[in-house]
Amino acid sequence: MKKFFQIVAVCFSGCLILAGCNNGSNSSTVENSGPQRDTVIIKLMAFTPDTLTVNKGDTVVWINQDIVAHDVSHFPDRAWHSDTLNPQNVFVKVIDDSSSYFCSIHPTMRATVLLKK
Amino acid sequence: MRFSAALGVAMFILAGCNSGNNDQAAATADSAQTAATPAPEAAPQQPALNDAQIASIAVTANQIDVDYGKIALDKSKNPEIRKFAETMIKDHSDIIKQATALATKLNVTPETNKTTQDLLDGQTKMNETFKGLTGDAFDKAYAQNEAAYHDAVVNAVKNTLIPNTQNAELKSLIESVVPLLDHHLQMAKDLAAKFK
Ligand SMILES: [Cu+2]
Repeated sequence: MKKFFQIVAVCFSGCLILAGCNNGSNSSTVENSGPQRDTVIIKLMAFTPDTLTVNKGDTVVWINQDIVAHDVSHFPDRAWHSDTLNPQNVFVKVIDDSSSYFCSIHPTMRATVLLKK
Repeated sequence: MRFSAALGVAMFILAGCNSGNNDQAAATADSAQTAATPAPEAAPQQPALNDAQIASIAVTANQIDVDYGKIALDKSKNPEIRKFAETMIKDHSDIIKQATALATKLNVTPETNKTTQDLLDGQTKMNETFKGLTGDAFDKAYAQNEAAYHDAVVNAVKNTLIPNTQNAELKSLIESVVPLLDHHLQMAKDLAAKFK
């Protein structure tokens, strides 16, 4: 009998969580707090957008949708850099500072991440 | 002189890609008068390449540059030449992978043709030239040939392969190679300029 209540309790809280998830998009307060996620697409030998403005602590995801491998490297010294990103590979980085970056394999590919002032 | 050899190869490739065959030009002109269907105005001289032939040309053209890159890694000690060669090997291998995967998906079996053969003949000649060269002389010849080769391939892709490709996915893949080839061409020109 005790076990039965535990199961019911688990189900109930599960439903609550589900409901919470479903309704989450309605509460705009959640959206504005905490770090955001931004995406840069690598395609046709370019980073798009070529200038991305983010808040300190936001996460940027680079997705290689091109037909060849690229990388994401701090310009000009590669102080930070991704591994070689084969097509469809992804690089994720938390941004603490503005920086220019480039592809060290194809150095004409340049772009910038800026911190919001 | 070496540069003109490279250019010669480039012209050769271009000629092959543009019209398939120069010595057939006369025959084409003759038959055009008696042909039942008028040739399309946009490309009066081009014998149509089918997608299977285009796939073969694409794979061959990329493979040749992979092979040149491997020769460079074998022969050159120049770090810039080596880095460029590594990029060529990686990029052109990636393109081959994509092209082969798409051809398989579309059930297209690459079909050897005159242009493929011209490309391979050009490669054989260039390999002979490379064989006799070492050190700076090799590096210079490699860089100049890369510039000439990419120039020829970019032109062939834009003027011959893209206009003739029928399948939309294959066309889109070939179109997406253009910015990469332009980039390679620029890199090769910059590299060649260092060996004047
Ligand atoms: Cu790149």
